[in-house]
Amino acid sequence: MSFDTGRGRVLGIETSCDETAAAIVQSGTSVLSSVVSSQVDLHARYGGVVPEIASRAHVDLIVPVVAQAFVEAGLSDRPVEGASCDVDAVAATYGPGLVGALLVGVSAGKALALAWDVPFIAVNHLEAHLYAALLDEPELELPVIVLLVSGGHTLIVHMEDHGRYRVLGSTIDDAAGEAFDKVARFLGLGYPGGPAIDRISVGGDPTAVRFPRPMLGDGTFDFSFSGLKTAVVNYVRKHPEVSTPDVAASFQEAVVDVLLTKTRAAAKAVGARGLCLGGGVAANSLLRERFLDACLEDGMPGYLPSWAMCTDNAAMIASAAWYRWRSDGPWPLDTGALPNLGLPVA
Amino acid sequence: MLILGVSTSTARVGCAIGGHEGILGAVHSSRGRRHAETLTPAIEFLCRQTRVELSEIGAIAVDLGPGLFTGLRVGVAAGKALAHARRLPMIGVASLDLLAFALRHSSRRIVCAIDAGRGEIFSASYRQSPGGVQRLGDPQVGTPDDLAAELAAGKEELLLVGDGALRYQEAFEGIRRLELGDSGVAHPSAGSLVQLAHARALREDFVLPADLTPLYLRRPDAEIGWITRDAPR
Ligand SMILES: [Zn+2]
Repeated sequence: MSFDTGRGRVLGIETSCDETAAAIVQSGTSVLSSVVSSQVDLHARYGGVVPEIASRAHVDLIVPVVAQAFVEAGLSDRPVEGASCDVDAVAATYGPGLVGALLVGVSAGKALALAWDVPFIAVNHLEAHLYAALLDEPELELPVIVLLVSGGHTLIVHMEDHGRYRVLGSTIDDAAGEAFDKVARFLGLGYPGGPAIDRISVGGDPTAVRFPRPMLGDGTFDFSFSGLKTAVVNYVRKHPEVSTPDVAASFQEAVVDVLLTKTRAAAKAVGARGLCLGGGVAANSLLRERFLDACLEDGMPGYLPSWAMCTDNAAMIASAAWYRWRSDGPWPLDTGALPNLGLPVA
Repeated sequence: MLILGVSTSTARVGCAIGGHEGILGAVHSSRGRRHAETLTPAIEFLCRQTRVELSEIGAIAVDLGPGLFTGLRVGVAAGKALAHARRLPMIGVASLDLLAFALRHSSRRIVCAIDAGRGEIFSASYRQSPGGVQRLGDPQVGTPDDLAAELAAGKEELLLVGDGALRYQEAFEGIRRLELGDSGVAHPSAGSLVQLAHARALREDFVLPADLTPLYLRRPDAEIGWITRDAPR
């Protein structure tokens, strides 16, 4: 079954963590605008995202960010006599994420849909990350293996077709981005940890310390990063004279090594046609470089979304919404937030 | 002018539509803290039942709290979105003021107490004034025992209402001049919100969606911890 999607213009809203974002995307692929207001400065002094601070900021920012998305798209959000506004549906992330933060976007999104008399579509944040790759690489041929790594998720996903995924592996403890944050905090490098470690590693020797590669040869596609973090802490306590850039570079090397070894093995196991990277950690320069090397070596096309598409944004929400809208139709207005939502299983 | 009022600061979710001819309709429900699930369908239902199109609404009123942070944000975010989408002005009213307004015909001193979680309540006192009530001082956050001690020290006849008053009623049992309002008046009413907002709308006492902020009356946890850690020893 296929639903009528009008001009196909979807306003997407994303408030699952610490970015307030809105975007307008036409027919799932053409980004007319994408506005992201990051709260990173609000959370930096706490060394991590504080849910209550994030939720409060979303309430203050949601309307200005939505308004800006219309301005940048050159569209009107003003309903004129009888006609609706310039978008045909409103979509919002309903999970997974911080419940208080998600509820702001879901509530605002449903209210906008009601006020403009257009359908509402609830979007799975993880599914949207998979669609971020398609936004930057419309030619992408399925099936692909997607490595989705951020502060909240570490997943190897087999994307068989639109709306058909299999999670092949995930983390059993910390997410990859969380490990970066924790190690950066321990090394006194500040928050967010990913960019801080990336920066300081440039001057370090990645072979200085041979940190463990947890779960590397265990035959699964799962990860564990908490032991690696402990190894870093123990090493530095035992060798206080060690250079911080060397520790950071060696830690980064271990993380990237584990991530890519497992991703390549997964691609081989399912006979994927390509490899794809997503999530905030996909902005890591070593991961990007090694990812492209691995694709060359394995003779497999690699899809590397732009930095803006890797991190949380609303264009990916609007894009995923359009595909879901076409296949499943609009969502009811009694939709709530599901903080522990997983990927829809085929 | 027709006003749509939204109140979500306690366990009860409410919305109402009204104007110069009074309240045209109101919907309240309070099961399982499903604020986000309930609110939008309730507004849709209310519009259908009152045969009012959203395009006929002239202003959006919201309950600003204090109250349940998460619940509160559902109503404020939805209210701001509706106001922005339809280019409507907004009016914000404190939850405690709404509780007191519903009891404006009582001659007693009215004390409103909303559950603040963590063993605390948000409270404020009111006295009658022409056409409504007048708040005596800013809303406070504190323990039920602190409020009880303060109330026991006075001489006036008191009417204590709110979900915070009911939850901690044993703290107030010893005060003889005090009557406790039942659950029927324990939550802010969306009808009161529309009535109060209508009076303000006549004076064109509006705010823009961007300028409307919830009344939290309490800092986020992490900030409290940080300030304590940071304080000079
Ligand atoms: Zn994400």
